[in-house]
Amino acid sequence: MIAATHAQVAQAWSRARQRVFRHAPADGERVVLRHSRIYILPSRRGWTMIGTLAIMLLTSLNYALSLGFAITFLLSGLVAAALLHAFRNLAGIEIRPLAASETFAGGRIAFTLSASGGERTREAIELGAPGADQVVADIPGGQSVILKIERDAPVRGPLALGRVTLSSTQPLGLWRAWSYVHFPLAGVVYPLPEPGAPPLPRGAHGQDLTAPGQGEESEFAGLREYQPGDPLQRVAWKAVARGAGWYTKEFDGAGGGGPVALDWAALPRAIDAETRLSRLTAWVLAAERAARPFALSIPGGALPVANDRNHRRAALTMLAMFPRESA
Amino acid sequence: MTAAAIRRRARSRDASPRLTATQIRWLGALLLLAQLPQAPHLPLWIAAFGMLLVGLRFALLRRDRLRPDAPPARIPSWTLAIFAVVAALFVRASYGYLLGRDPSVAFLFILVGIKFLETRTVRDGTLLVALASFLLVTPYFRSQSPAAALVALPALLVLGATLDALARSPASALARTPSQALRRTGRMILQGIPIAAVMFVLFPRVAAPLWGMPADAGAQTGLSDSMAPGSISELSLSDAVAFRVDFDGVVPPAPQRYWRGPVLGRFDGREWSMVARPGNGTLARVTPTRITYAVTLEPHGKPWLFALDFPASLPRPVGEDAEERQEAYAFVTRDQQLIARTSVLQVLRYEQVSVLRTSYPADEDEGRDFLRLPSRVNPRTLALGRELRAKHVDDAAVVAAGLDWLRSKPFVYTLTPPLLDHDPVDMFLFDTQRGFCEHYAGAFAALMRAAGVPSRVVTGYQGGELNPHGLYLIVRQSDAHAWTEVLVDGQWRRIDPTAVVAPSRIEMGMSRALGADEPVPLFARLDGGWLKGAQLTFDAMNHAWRRNLVGFDRQRQRELWRELTIDRFAGWQIAAIAGGLGLAWAGIVLALSGLARAKREREQALWLEACTRLSRAGLPRLPHEGPIAYASRASRRWPQFAIAFAAIAESYAALRYGPPPARPGEREALIATLARAVDVLPAPSQLRSAAG
Repeated sequence: MIAATHAQVAQAWSRARQRVFRHAPADGERVVLRHSRIYILPSRRGWTMIGTLAIMLLTSLNYALSLGFAITFLLSGLVAAALLHAFRNLAGIEIRPLAASETFAGGRIAFTLSASGGERTREAIELGAPGADQVVADIPGGQSVILKIERDAPVRGPLALGRVTLSSTQPLGLWRAWSYVHFPLAGVVYPLPEPGAPPLPRGAHGQDLTAPGQGEESEFAGLREYQPGDPLQRVAWKAVARGAGWYTKEFDGAGGGGPVALDWAALPRAIDAETRLSRLTAWVLAAERAARPFALSIPGGALPVANDRNHRRAALTMLAMFPRESA
Repeated sequence: MTAAAIRRRARSRDASPRLTATQIRWLGALLLLAQLPQAPHLPLWIAAFGMLLVGLRFALLRRDRLRPDAPPARIPSWTLAIFAVVAALFVRASYGYLLGRDPSVAFLFILVGIKFLETRTVRDGTLLVALASFLLVTPYFRSQSPAAALVALPALLVLGATLDALARSPASALARTPSQALRRTGRMILQGIPIAAVMFVLFPRVAAPLWGMPADAGAQTGLSDSMAPGSISELSLSDAVAFRVDFDGVVPPAPQRYWRGPVLGRFDGREWSMVARPGNGTLARVTPTRITYAVTLEPHGKPWLFALDFPASLPRPVGEDAEERQEAYAFVTRDQQLIARTSVLQVLRYEQVSVLRTSYPADEDEGRDFLRLPSRVNPRTLALGRELRAKHVDDAAVVAAGLDWLRSKPFVYTLTPPLLDHDPVDMFLFDTQRGFCEHYAGAFAALMRAAGVPSRVVTGYQGGELNPHGLYLIVRQSDAHAWTEVLVDGQWRRIDPTAVVAPSRIEMGMSRALGADEPVPLFARLDGGWLKGAQLTFDAMNHAWRRNLVGFDRQRQRELWRELTIDRFAGWQIAAIAGGLGLAWAGIVLALSGLARAKREREQALWLEACTRLSRAGLPRLPHEGPIAYASRASRRWPQFAIAFAAIAESYAALRYGPPPARPGEREALIATLARAVDVLPAPSQLRSAAG
């Protein structure tokens, strides 16, 4: 009985904490900032002004300056109105999570969100997330803007956006209004390809492998639209420079050899799990460059032979998500 | 502070973003506007120096613009410290002391200029805004006139715009013109006015200063505790208002309006001065013919309060009714003079009851104290006194004989009497025979003492001007007066020797009694005419301002609370009321700005109307269809209305999805086009038949 009450209290407490601090990524497809989510406290400048008002008030009291009171209170009215406007600047903003990019360990992950503020223009909305640089943007009335938050991705595995803080000190910089949104948005950090990795192993069907140098001589097949996460070396930079937009070069598999089997178990015993993952990552990329289909098998998962874009992504994701050894 | 700490501080200060030229310009404008109301109250060079420093920064800004490659104008911080010390020394030299209210204000005035010169970062800007806010209060130490209030309003507006400029994020692309920034702040100030009003009414005022007032807090004109020939005529040159009186019922006629002030019992041959006598006096008994009135006294830096001869009550602060408060507030001396416990340093409003009499009973044996006369000066006066005494036994007869003597000589009532040096009373009575009221009152009292009649001088005001707007009395410094009191038959009797020489002074005021070439102050001289009328109207407004706003102190607050019937609530209840009003205000302001938004969505309403009409005509908009596509589909169906469809779709798309308008009025023009196009759209039934 008592234990049940205790559990209920703990549950209520954690619900309240979630309501206030949004620690868990429990926000859905779209969040509209309402009063229950918006917090306001004086900014540093706000505290300075409040202190000044207090001094003005004390002076007026001591010298019984009625006009001193009047000007102090008029200024207080302005400060109070600024509070409402700070609230209004955030209230009603609609935020949607769009996408998270992928990268290799040591790169940066970009999270994109869209924000719209209805008819009113929202000024200088600051976006912050743990480990990410602050982003400042205006949201013009009647439009929605794409906001991009970037953060470093030092280790492989999933990388969650974490709790996003939207804040603003507009209009007078006296109040900081902020709001937490926590979407379950996460990017994938692939293992860092092993530098100087050995050449691709033998083919799955016992064929001899051609030398990797030759295997890479694949033919340019065409351009497709750039998608976040495409390797930078395959971006069609000339097109970007012309201002024609972002495209990624695609290569035909014609120049490659036969399919290749990338097998965790086939690697030498001596090397540890992370190095294995790095090497397999490097091989996945090499196979792609060589336009050779590949199969991947690691403990807990395997992919059949294929050589399309989704296959590559599935392979890299599988490598990224490999359970980390408990440190 | 160690060198490392200074470096650390300097670094942290540099971490704050640099001010842009726009921000510096706003700050400069704010400082000048905040300095402006204070400037007239400062020594000329301090005012000029402080404002020139601000101007100098503008000049440096100009230099930066002319030579964009030069490093930003900057003055090393240590020179500013020297500046500040020098400024402090100059202020000290100018005022004679530094640790007082006025020199502190003067120093602050210069300090903001110095600080502005070296201001580089946004954080410095915040500090300057805070200093400027405080500078808005300081002019009210000296003047709380309507003009002083008005002059603060532009500064307040610019203060908001400056905060707005400081809060401008470099990342925010939305530019704002100065007039937009000012309009925006103006709107916010207007929205804040209800908060300001509620705070003004509900914020509890305290009765006494929280801490000691500096000695220089009040240096105003008014009657002093002594009187020498020339002191009252000097005061009479001032138009300044001494006090205003609202009568409750009858206004006594001018000749009976003797406003009793300092009573001067000691005479040194030249100067009359006040004698502090222990003990309290007895107030006159209240009679049915009593006069009840409220005095709004201008601060004069002295503790005396004024009442019609003779006070029948202690001054009761307006709004207070507890008897014991009166005791703590003021007392009556044995000379029937009302004295407040503290000097009058702010506008004071009190209720008073008087009975109009010309005498009051003296204490036993009081007379001896009022016979002392220096025996070496004014020998001729002493002789005349002895002569009068020799002729008459009765004190009353002596007084009458003295007045007869005055009447028999060619005395002239004038504001510009000749200077009196040795034996001033002798010189006045026997040689020059030209003088103002203090000459007559002082000389007559001296003469009476010489004749053995106890006498003294009473200073105060006489008469005053009735303002027809609002029916109250204005008493100015130019109404200052002095008269004599003699102790005859156990009664102190008022004798006004000036009335003997110039009866019209008492009947109609000083200006009528004086010759046309006398230097009478303008407002005392004017009679009738539009200028006088305008002046009286202005004074009526001023009086209302004084009474209701400037004089809104603890007493007036209690009074108002009683009228609003919130005086019976406890402090926490009043705080709760204030909180509730604040919430209501927030709701109303937010709701009103929501309404503004609804109005802006007019294009949405027009578009929906057009869609409804087409839909009723049998051509509903498809869910995925944008305005342009929908319009072209409609144009294919009804080619005769293609122009209207195109106009609707294009203006709506531009309003809804286009870039924000570049020019003011562009948006309104688009909405007008949209409205006109929707207007020419035929009704659904017509469309249906047209399609057939």
